[in-house]
Amino acid sequence: MPIYFDHNATTPLDPRVLDAMLPYLSGPYGNASSVHRYGRAARDAIEAARVQVAALAGAEASEVTFTSGATESNNLALKGLADGVPRAADAARILYGGTEHPAVLEAAEALRGQGWPVETIAVDRSGVIDWPAFEAQLAGGPVRLAALMLANNETGVIHDTARAAALVHARGGLLHVDAVQAAGKLAFDFGSSGADLMSLSAHKLYGPKGVGALLVKSHVGLATQLHGGGQERGLRGGTENLAAIVGFGAACALAAAEVEGRMARWTELKARLEAGLRRLPGITIFGDGVARLANTVQFGVEGWEGEALLMALDRKGIAVSSGSACASGTGEPSHVLLAMGWPRDIAFSAIRVSLGLASTEAEIDRFLIVLGELKMQVAA
Amino acid sequence: MIYLDYAATTPLDERVFDAMLPYLKPDGFHGNPASTHGPGFKARAAVEKARAQVAGLIGADAAEIVWTSGATESNNLAIKGALEFRGFPKNAKAAHIVTSRIEHKCVLDTCRHLETLGARVTYLKPDALGRVTPEAVMAAITPDTVLVSLMWVNNEIGAVNDIERLAPRLRERGVMLHVDAAQAAGKLAIDLKAVPIDLLSLSAHKLYGPKGVGALFVRRKPRARLAPQMHGGGHEQGMRSGTLATHQVVGMGAACALAMQQFDADVAHWRGLRDALWAGLRDIPGVLRNGPDGGDGEHRVAPHVLNLSFPGVEGEALRASLPAIAVSSGSACSSATAEPSYVLRALGRDDELANASLRFSVGRATTLAQIEQVAKTVIAQVAWLRELSPLPVPAVTR
Amino acid sequence: MTARDSDLDNPYGYAPEIWRLFRTAPNAGAFPPGTDGVVAAEAGTPAARSVLRLELRVDAGMVADARFRAYGCPASIAVGAYIAGWVRGRSMAELSTLKAGDLREALEIPEDRAHCALLGEDALRAVLARYSREST
Repeated sequence: MPIYFDHNATTPLDPRVLDAMLPYLSGPYGNASSVHRYGRAARDAIEAARVQVAALAGAEASEVTFTSGATESNNLALKGLADGVPRAADAARILYGGTEHPAVLEAAEALRGQGWPVETIAVDRSGVIDWPAFEAQLAGGPVRLAALMLANNETGVIHDTARAAALVHARGGLLHVDAVQAAGKLAFDFGSSGADLMSLSAHKLYGPKGVGALLVKSHVGLATQLHGGGQERGLRGGTENLAAIVGFGAACALAAAEVEGRMARWTELKARLEAGLRRLPGITIFGDGVARLANTVQFGVEGWEGEALLMALDRKGIAVSSGSACASGTGEPSHVLLAMGWPRDIAFSAIRVSLGLASTEAEIDRFLIVLGELKMQVAA
Repeated sequence: MIYLDYAATTPLDERVFDAMLPYLKPDGFHGNPASTHGPGFKARAAVEKARAQVAGLIGADAAEIVWTSGATESNNLAIKGALEFRGFPKNAKAAHIVTSRIEHKCVLDTCRHLETLGARVTYLKPDALGRVTPEAVMAAITPDTVLVSLMWVNNEIGAVNDIERLAPRLRERGVMLHVDAAQAAGKLAIDLKAVPIDLLSLSAHKLYGPKGVGALFVRRKPRARLAPQMHGGGHEQGMRSGTLATHQVVGMGAACALAMQQFDADVAHWRGLRDALWAGLRDIPGVLRNGPDGGDGEHRVAPHVLNLSFPGVEGEALRASLPAIAVSSGSACSSATAEPSYVLRALGRDDELANASLRFSVGRATTLAQIEQVAKTVIAQVAWLRELSPLPVPAVTR
Repeated sequence: MTARDSDLDNPYGYAPEIWRLFRTAPNAGAFPPGTDGVVAAEAGTPAARSVLRLELRVDAGMVADARFRAYGCPASIAVGAYIAGWVRGRSMAELSTLKAGDLREALEIPEDRAHCALLGEDALRAVLARYSREST
């Protein structure tokens, strides 16, 4: 049996989510913006899903804008707040965490290209924000926006975004939180988190690919990035992706109901995996000793390049990642590990195991055996 | 309920659904197409097969297809991307766009947004039948014109623009051409090897594919250059980042393959039904057909759309009198509002008449019996509302 | 006029009483030409997409019967039907007591259709004006 240990890249659709989606995929439902009966049924379904998504994140339904996925959500958050060419006089800074997902990082860099002042927020070797440096950075000038992920996709390291929110707000800035990896793996509450905006994705929590959301507090003014049609209260044009939105809602409802059980299960599995890894020589677990997602372990394997190890494991029927799926295959080491200050050779040797709902002890044990064998081949 | 709103959205074809289903099940096809392991490679292979299928429908190369979340995103990417690549908005004075007043809302909204950033936009008025002629476009071109954005088939009235004649003339002038083909794909034969269009938008859910996926054709030779609008991860040759929704792109591919395979049969079926409906309704006193009346050449019209105005009845009451018929009073995106169609207004219909209009659009599942039923019902309800009205039926000449 | 089917689906979600009156349009039509005691008047304009015509057959200061014709949205048609039913058996003096607010309440006319209720009030006022002109 192949082993899938790459749930942070994407999860399989939960069969219960598929069941919820089917009537909207193959059923006779019309364009959600059409006025006739099918359209009304479709609109009701979208609003029900909005409530489900809001409930998982501790948000109001009115704060939920559906998008085509987290990349769009993150782009909308950053570019929606920093729209157009800045006027030099009032151009406050845009700050983003050094370990952010490429969607945040590259959106911010695109804004730099338009003339916005953009800076990164330093993290320490564990991947945690370097708080004294961050406070000094904030004191250095006006801030428009800070973007920090709740949990890192590669290392699973969890950021204290509430602490960041207080600091950023004190400087008059807004906080955007990419919660894509945290949703369904960690309980959190948008309402009390201090975050002003938050990105979510369905396919990281057993929902369908092609749909995500941006949560936006009512006090935040955001410029539309996808023009036309006036859907999503004018914030995001385009015919609603009905079945996917329904699936997203169903996935969120399941995650909300099951998150504690899932976390407990993953915590056990992760402990087993890490205990096994610690018995092998030359393993470096990244973010060791700090709060991390229960399902994620990223580690360096001495003597291997991550990409080569990934391929060797793949030949044995084990799917892992060497970093974020988007950046893999580029021949560059993980920007996350480099931002954490790890040397290039150690960063190059990284692979990531991310567990899922169907992961088992037996899979962990088999993975450890195969990894041990591969390590021995190199040693020999 | 008889559904005659296929131009707003089509139901998913069962065969398309069957193609998508494996990618919605946890049987090894669920990987992220960007992942470099077995499940990722399987998903990637499916994505690339679908890309070739989409390209096949329009005579393009697979490498010229960029996946998007739908025609709205495709249109946004084409128009903003083309301008931004040329340094807009920093270099705003050099950006002029030519488009028409009856484009889809998302094209108009994008253009209006660009105007606020300093672009100059010419919104051409269509002729009385809803067409923008190549001559009118060429007359609007200035040395600053960066882009012409024109729909191939109008979504409300089915009027067909003569893109085949326009495209070479723009190529000669060195002006980029973007065509919104959301309503044209599968309805008109499109061969991008023969027609030098630079950018072309497609939508899956208008051709029996799933919602939430579309594509933008970006010509490689000569290369149409765009600035990406969605950053992060460098997917789609850097032009559009974001994890691909495997099941959706597979669905769009399957839908395009089907549309190509049964193109002749589809078009003949739709044309027959559309003509039968017009034959049934044309004797309502004063009824007006909006847009061209079919035939080839000058009067080309998409085979699936019939748009009629009914003088002497109020539009909302007319729609409410047809509760068992799903039709549209305009494009789906604007029909929740009570505003009369801006397309019909641009054709010279007054507010009252524009409001008293219905767009019937037929599809694969439409039957002649449904058409007969609809004709009967519409005739009866128009007569009833006119009898109820204190106003005389206006004498309108065709 | 022939009534229409009233139990059809209400896919646009009109208030139940608006939908019923719009579908069935009781008292729609006009009195035969030459009918005695008919007072008729109109309110609204085609440009505003709503015109309501009321015909009241008045006998000794009391409304014996009423008809309406309407051009407009379902709510304005329902207003016409409602008024034509309401006035029957009432004295002409009473008619001015029916206000737009009462119509909105009776038919559950939403805020954005308040003008339909005003159309009803205007039509009643026009009939009363015509009546007082004709009886002096």
